Amino acid sequence: MNTKENKLSFLTNGIIKENPVFVLVLGTCPTLAVTTSVIGAFSMGIAAMVVLICSNMVISALRNIIPDKVRIPCYIVVIAGFVTIVSMVMHAYLPELYDMLGLYLALIVVNCIILGRAEMFASKHSVIESALDGVGMGIGFTLALLSMALIREVIGNGTFMGMAIPYFENFTINIFKMAPGGFMVFGFMIAIVNYFTKGRAIKKKDFGCEGCPNMSACSGGCEGCKKEGE
Amino acid sequence: MKNNVKPVLVLTVICLVISLLLGVVNYFTAPVIADNDQKAANASLVVVMPEGGSFEEIDISAYELPATVVAAFKAENGGHVIKLSTAGYGSGMVIMCGVNTEGMVTGAECIASNETLGFEKTYGASFKDVTDVESVDTIATATLTTTAYKNAIKDAQNANIILSGGSVDIRTEEQILADNLALVLPEAEGAFSEVFIAETVDASVNKIFEAENGAGYVVKLGENFVSTDAKGIVINSTDASVEAIASDAVKLVTSTKLSEIDLSDYELPRGLKKTLEKAYVTESGNYVFEMKAAGYGVNAKYGANGVYIKIKISISADGVIISCVTTEQAETEKIGDVCGKESYYSQYNGKDAETYKEVETIAGASEYTDPAYKGAVRQSFEAYEFFKGGLE
Repeated sequence: MNTKENKLSFLTNGIIKENPVFVLVLGTCPTLAVTTSVIGAFSMGIAAMVVLICSNMVISALRNIIPDKVRIPCYIVVIAGFVTIVSMVMHAYLPELYDMLGLYLALIVVNCIILGRAEMFASKHSVIESALDGVGMGIGFTLALLSMALIREVIGNGTFMGMAIPYFENFTINIFKMAPGGFMVFGFMIAIVNYFTKGRAIKKKDFGCEGCPNMSACSGGCEGCKKEGE
Repeated sequence: MKNNVKPVLVLTVICLVISLLLGVVNYFTAPVIADNDQKAANASLVVVMPEGGSFEEIDISAYELPATVVAAFKAENGGHVIKLSTAGYGSGMVIMCGVNTEGMVTGAECIASNETLGFEKTYGASFKDVTDVESVDTIATATLTTTAYKNAIKDAQNANIILSGGSVDIRTEEQILADNLALVLPEAEGAFSEVFIAETVDASVNKIFEAENGAGYVVKLGENFVSTDAKGIVINSTDASVEAIASDAVKLVTSTKLSEIDLSDYELPRGLKKTLEKAYVTESGNYVFEMKAAGYGVNAKYGANGVYIKIKISISADGVIISCVTTEQAETEKIGDVCGKESYYSQYNGKDAETYKEVETIAGASEYTDPAYKGAVRQSFEAYEFFKGGLE
């Protein structure tokens, strides 16, 4: 039962409690770049989820083989490979979406969510658990993008999925399509998530040394850092 | 050693496996991607030539095409789709234009631009099924954009003729003039300056050019050119029937003596004091005035450069403009600087004190440049009346 609950929590964590965008504040670049349209947001979310699931599974499968010294280069090669595959498939079979995402599709390689979950989760859990984590984080990322896109496209452009909305199309607030508006919506969404989780989500961000990607390179550990700072 | 070998080995193997996987995916997707790209390229061609069928790109380096042509595609139906790059108000206006075998424009579309008003996005529709591009009006508030667009369409029609095996003279007006001058007086080695005409010559004489090395003169009479030596003796011509007129014109112009009028001897009216810089009179009673006008360069609220428009104007004894030339100006590029072009100021030739107002207003310069220029021309007529004794 505990095992099943754990596996279910791997899936659901990424949706609210450890939402990669509004709680972990990862992947901010594509979040702001592609959320001016719902279709773009959905496409980016699905593309990132596919890469996340595949890379998590492969990295988890190879976790006992990849030496610690070269783990980051290996993770990046795997992630880049899957991003390129997704990019080629989209270019061939979904050219309109490929053009819509543009540069940000290739930038999934350096999306902190992918590398972060590979380092923090996939390298320490089984393949099934890593896959579930990928699904959960992917769904959370997609939902986050969709919620932002819904606000920005409707208010900023007066459309939904490219279709004009009566009344809204005549009273658009252009700043929502631009970077300042994006940051505003982003900030408000983080505040809303924080409110509904009653701050518990924020506290969970403190993973300690275990969750720090630089742990192996850190000479004194967390105690060492505290002594220097105090 | 083992600690260093394993990481390298693992990383290498992972790279190889991923590369293999990418190769496999590329094998299946590359043909689909290439097909999609071809369809997208064809889509823009089909928009401007719906009945063109399939298209094949032509190597344009093998042809001497207008400078605006950047690519050309031959359509299955014999016509061509021409891709042109030109500059309207801004640079980088890219136009696709389809022209059929009869020279008719099947469609035109601007696919990229930096224009400010956006007229170029819809202006292309005006050319559909048009053969005579001049019949399409420019848009008054977007003269630069639409004039550039029209010229690009003409270039597309010329390119279509050339690509179909015909020939078109694609030289600019300046190039044609320079070639004709060199043709009749090669001894001048291409260096000519225009002679300001202060005497009434035959109406068929458009311009007289002097070779800067003293080799002689070339007279332009319509489409004909006649060269003479410094004394007016004919050397060469494109039409023998106008040689006598040209010879007389050169003799008249070279014998013209201008006597400068000392302006300090006169109490000029207030308006003339501001605009008249120098005045001359010829033996035959014609006048030459050097005027200055305060256009946008002087009166602009922002960006004034302090440069006046300088005009040299000769008025015959009976009050008709013989020649009007802009000798200096620094008005706004592509707007007011039209006043510095021969096509503009030559419009005043042959006009009198009433008909000079008929000269078309310079588009986009109706607040500063155009009224300043016309004001200076009006003042020149006042100067003429003054020195003839008509004004006090």
